[in-house]
Amino acid sequence: MLNDRINNQAHSSTRDRKGPCISVTNLKKQYGKANAFTLDGISFDVEYGTVFGFLGPNGAGKTTTLKILTTLLSPTSGSVYIFGKDLIKKQSEIKRKIGVVSQNPSYEANLTVERALDLYGLLWGLHDSRVRKDKVNEILNTFDLESIRNSKNDELSIGQRRRVQLAREFIHGEDMDLLFLDEPTIGLDPSARRMLLDYIKKHVMSGLTVFFTTHIMEEAEYLCDEIAIIDNGRIIAFDTPTGLKQKYGGANKIIEITFKEVLSQSFIDLLKKIIISSTGSRDQKDKDGNHKNYDESTSNNISKDKINTTTTSHVDIKGTNPSAVSITVNNAEEVISEILQLVSKKGMQIESISINPPSLEEVFLSIVNDENNSRNNERK
Amino acid sequence: MKSMNDYIMVYSILLLVYRNIVAAIDKMFLIWQIAFPVVYIFVAGYAYSALIGDQGIAIGSLTVTYVSFLTAGMIGFNVMNGSTIAGAIIWNDKRNGMFQQILVMPFNKIQYVIANLITLILIGLGSAAVIMLIGFPTIFHDINVTPWSIPYTVYALVAGSIFFGSFTIILSTRMKSSEGYNVISNGLFLFFAFVSSAFYPAEGLPQPLAAAFYVNPLTYIVDITRAGIFAQIDMFTNVEVLILGLLSSAVFLIATRSMIKMEG
Repeated sequence: MLNDRINNQAHSSTRDRKGPCISVTNLKKQYGKANAFTLDGISFDVEYGTVFGFLGPNGAGKTTTLKILTTLLSPTSGSVYIFGKDLIKKQSEIKRKIGVVSQNPSYEANLTVERALDLYGLLWGLHDSRVRKDKVNEILNTFDLESIRNSKNDELSIGQRRRVQLAREFIHGEDMDLLFLDEPTIGLDPSARRMLLDYIKKHVMSGLTVFFTTHIMEEAEYLCDEIAIIDNGRIIAFDTPTGLKQKYGGANKIIEITFKEVLSQSFIDLLKKIIISSTGSRDQKDKDGNHKNYDESTSNNISKDKINTTTTSHVDIKGTNPSAVSITVNNAEEVISEILQLVSKKGMQIESISINPPSLEEVFLSIVNDENNSRNNERK
Repeated sequence: MKSMNDYIMVYSILLLVYRNIVAAIDKMFLIWQIAFPVVYIFVAGYAYSALIGDQGIAIGSLTVTYVSFLTAGMIGFNVMNGSTIAGAIIWNDKRNGMFQQILVMPFNKIQYVIANLITLILIGLGSAAVIMLIGFPTIFHDINVTPWSIPYTVYALVAGSIFFGSFTIILSTRMKSSEGYNVISNGLFLFFAFVSSAFYPAEGLPQPLAAAFYVNPLTYIVDITRAGIFAQIDMFTNVEVLILGLLSSAVFLIATRSMIKMEG
């Protein structure tokens, strides 16, 4: 489906779109010779007309990658091609066709929103003042900025300023082939966030390519066609959101049960015992035969290719609700059957029960934790 | 192809200059840029004139009143005062995130530096013209411009703008905080202002102080400006022109290098 979409866009586009939009090969960045590599030989391709999610924990190398791709930093080694052009040699040509919304706010403090957008249009080469005015009006309308068009940027709230920052990039819409978004929804309320994501989706459908970094997994899942997860300067996972869940989420399921009464600690302990007994002795001991805690993620010390056959079994109180639990297991049916027996024996009542696949957030945490543990084991 | 690139380069710089004038300069600063020298001319000029008496001050073969001397000096001084604009533009752009944003647009750091300096030169020349107009009643009886002396004044204002603009750019790229930048630039500018011939002539000073005057580029800027306004061009003026040109070129190169090395 993804490929069909890309092909359709490629046909509909008049631009030369041979090869990937971004092609990064063995990219390395070292800040000072004495320091470790912030980027340690990453490689990936981003296809035209897709949203590429670049996820990772703090300090993983996301911002450094983004700064290199947007020409703010020079790489130590490796190659970057954007639109098939060498980023180092053809910087100015490439910059004409990209938009960047950085994580930090950027604004013309002394200008009104309307005047700042107009100036931005001029800087982007919209010389005709009437064309610029129409474009500014369109953007003010699309991003719901009409009410603040005459307010100075300095006087806006953080969320309003963020919306202006985002809106601004679309002023050179027709010329923009690639948009870099670095955690663009920080400071936005839910409706503004959804409005933005939908607006981006609409533009992607008409051929825009988006390089997207975020910490909000729901956003990545909603928007991204492909996701790369970076940690310690290396890409540790790369797939579609569904592919990542299948590959790294394995057979794990999340059972969410809401009871009609508040749960006692003794009942929660019984639930944990059920999980230990149902997942078997293999989960209670790691490779070295060390006994593991029942609510510890037992995939942590196991190599990535074994994740599918192991479990990350644990029981959590769900949010602030003292009547609900969330149980992660890889044998949901068996565990549910045992829980129902326990509930019946205790004379308790269940209000609701559901079985869900793991969220992208859990997959992300699993991948990053697994990588951290592998690294710690290597050090030992 | 090369001429096309040159055209794009010039056009990009002009766009950034326009952007600086429209968006990056605080209008209150511009008012202060004019008000400060004017207050100095009319208050300090006449107050010190009363103290000095009628003896006048020698500039080359000409003797002018202290107010005339100070007005011409203030036009040169104004260049240094206004140069803080270049540093302020960079600091404000860094603080408001516009520095990075401009660099991810079709502009590079060299264009950004040159645009800042051109902005500064325009403001320096513009405010000098306004100060000249306002201060004209104080200077008109001594003024003696000729077609070949005026280029000296313009040169001093342009080269002075480049020197002090580049100097503040270097400071703004090296300092880690705007507070640090303000402390250092205010301290240095205090030295530049008062250990120069902007307010009083270098002749007759104790030798060490007179020598310190000529370590200060503002002295050259002010001397050349005055020489142009009063048509007192001599060999020494041409030496000062040469020294100012060399200093400005060197500091401009260092500023450009500092900007290129500065991370976006």
